Amino acid sequence: MIFKQILVAGLLASGAIAPAMAQSNTDITVVLSEELDLVDPCMATRSNIGRVILQNISETLTELDVRGDKGLMPRLAESWEDKGDGTWQFKLRPGVTFSDGTTFDANDVKHSFDRVFSDQMTCESARYFADTELSFTVVDDTTLDVKAEPAQPILPLLMSLVTIVPSETPMEFVRDPIGTGPYAMSEWTAGQQIVLDRRDDYWGDAPAVTKATYLFRSEPAVRAGMVAAGEADIAPQITAEVADNKATDFSYLNSETVYLRIDGQDAPTSDLRVRQALNAAIEREAFIGTVLPEGTELAVAMVPPTTLGWNPDLSPPAFDPELAKTLLAEAQADGIDTSLPIEIVARTENFPNVTEVAEALVQMLNEVGFNATLRMVEVAEHEQYYSKPYPESEGTRLVLAQHDNSRGDPAFSMFFKYNSEGTQSGVNDPKVDDLIARASAATGDERAALWSELFAYVHDEIVADVLLFHMVGLSRVSERLDFTPTIATNQQLQLSEIGFK
Amino acid sequence: MTKLISQRAIASLLSLLGLLVLVFFLSRLTGDPAALFLPIDASEEMKAQFRALNGLDLPLLEQFGRYVWDFLHLDFGQSLRKARPAIEVVLEAYAWTLPLALITMTLVVIASIVLGALAAFNVGGFFDRLVSIVSLVAASAPDFWIAIVAIVIFAINLSWLPTSGVGTPWHWILPIAVLFIRPFGLIVQVVRGSMLGALSAPYVKTARAKGVRNLPIIFVHTLRNAMLPVITVIGDQAAAMLNGAVIVETIFGFPGIGKLMIDSILQRDFNVVLAAIMVTAIAIFLMNILIDIAYGLLDPRIRH
Repeated sequence: MIFKQILVAGLLASGAIAPAMAQSNTDITVVLSEELDLVDPCMATRSNIGRVILQNISETLTELDVRGDKGLMPRLAESWEDKGDGTWQFKLRPGVTFSDGTTFDANDVKHSFDRVFSDQMTCESARYFADTELSFTVVDDTTLDVKAEPAQPILPLLMSLVTIVPSETPMEFVRDPIGTGPYAMSEWTAGQQIVLDRRDDYWGDAPAVTKATYLFRSEPAVRAGMVAAGEADIAPQITAEVADNKATDFSYLNSETVYLRIDGQDAPTSDLRVRQALNAAIEREAFIGTVLPEGTELAVAMVPPTTLGWNPDLSPPAFDPELAKTLLAEAQADGIDTSLPIEIVARTENFPNVTEVAEALVQMLNEVGFNATLRMVEVAEHEQYYSKPYPESEGTRLVLAQHDNSRGDPAFSMFFKYNSEGTQSGVNDPKVDDLIARASAATGDERAALWSELFAYVHDEIVADVLLFHMVGLSRVSERLDFTPTIATNQQLQLSEIGFK
Repeated sequence: MTKLISQRAIASLLSLLGLLVLVFFLSRLTGDPAALFLPIDASEEMKAQFRALNGLDLPLLEQFGRYVWDFLHLDFGQSLRKARPAIEVVLEAYAWTLPLALITMTLVVIASIVLGALAAFNVGGFFDRLVSIVSLVAASAPDFWIAIVAIVIFAINLSWLPTSGVGTPWHWILPIAVLFIRPFGLIVQVVRGSMLGALSAPYVKTARAKGVRNLPIIFVHTLRNAMLPVITVIGDQAAAMLNGAVIVETIFGFPGIGKLMIDSILQRDFNVVLAAIMVTAIAIFLMNILIDIAYGLLDPRIRH
């Protein structure tokens, strides 16, 4: 009898919960993997912050089209022009207001950059301007001259990475971000949720989503389950194991590239044949559909195929263990000690099944005669091996790493990964340095051609690293939404791109 | 009793100071927070600026001196990641952990004492065997797996409860249920074992001979004598819970101290780590005093 009463109470309770979970049919809930530590717009290039803030609360002057092939599109800037001598003139959109009611003008842009470069706070977007000095001249309310020294050919593209805040914003991290975007933050309960409400006074078209609630759950199965249970509408970054519903689960290239960074200064990897042997020893296809999700692509460059200058003529090294053995034997005959230890350093939780991938890589290398071992480390320790100065080792280390570039231009990758002074570079080659310098300074077709040449040189001539995979992301999207995740979903999740069926 | 408690308080204060020194220097050994706060391609200048803004560029002893000075003024410093006072972040999380631990432990204590005592009284009987099997399974249950299965069954398939989060009382049911299982399994076994010993004492035979009924024998006469080892285990389990329940918090999106502590350690948010450890240590210290008082109440020999 008592059991029956409890059961009845339980059933009634389940009915009572349902209304509490219900929401307006144009409100959505997004469940993210990571909570936001900060909500300051100048940190929006950090992916977990960007997914909430970028182009939702705070906008940028320009925007890269990741859905079509429009390239760089206007956002808060209507147009821009290269005035020569490193100066770009931006014509700003008139009639735009911030969510606090103040009007957007050129001084706000200048102030936003002052914050990025301020010595009173550490804004992430400053990293894109590390070697560039920017000076701003406010011509009038809607015209701004930006002079870069040295000249920066991709300055309009870099403008897509800096969010604009009102000129009254203090030089410290704010907890109530004010922006020109279609949404304003109405609630932030640390550890629990962030709520964005649609603005009625947005300058552009009104998006379909009226309200977005962001929740944070680190377990992918729970995120996926929340969409299945109707508690959430979008769950980015679920794993292949839980993505079992074709109707709701999307797979897409997520702009991450996985590779083994080789230190070309160390023995035995200083020898080209040894680097070629490393590449020939790995059966890349064997990973896909087994430990990596279907749809994963073999990489021939550090950047995904949607990037400027991507070279379609390159093909991944064929799996050829006999060739690897021959190359190693030749190197050995020339006095290279190929028996020196090679330690693969991989980061736990870097991507799903990273341990299995790393173990398989070690196995494949050892099968052709390398003396490889694996060391799995936490993120902090991984950083010590990944960035210069590299710790000493007997033999060498191969760092299994994942690099993200959804910005559309190789400039965000190639210097760091291949220049002799690049922080994570294992290369010291004057031709590479020269190509990077020339490509970074060039524009248009010439720029694309130079990047393309660099990709080929790095991949085929000097075999700088072991490029492995362009990774796919998996997201679960409720069937009531009209939304397809893209390569940019790692970095941003524009609510205005979401419709309802 | 007062003397005992004040002795305990002084000892705990010394441990607290030792902990402060240990955690301060050990956490600094883990590396540079700038490398984790900033993206991997951040320039050296940006990293240097971050260190300078947060006083991480000072000599270690000077950093420690400043920390102790601020600590004596009850200032735990700013969270490096969240740019807000570390103690605020910690207390916010603790406000979730404390009720979760209190409710769960209360339920655990009541259920395990009642069931353990009844099982011991019917030793070898069906109820005893049932309790033994259930408690053994519960004590060795992997909470990660149970949490996920519970979500799949009760939230996704049956839609009775929300999957995760903390919005309503309904949100608390699954985390409490999952957190309940392991300490329940453990304590019920200790209660049963301890009660078996107590029930074979001569005074129980005397009570029976005098015609005292079963329930008063279990819950009035025997239980009090069997409670000392039980309280020790309860204290141990409660301390673990006050440290936060990382797995349950992670899976259910419960914003408690366990996940905060792990995240802060991984991200080298030193001030939050220190504040969290200090607050937890104080909570455990207070709980130990409560346990000492409980010992004293149960056993006059300890009181005197």
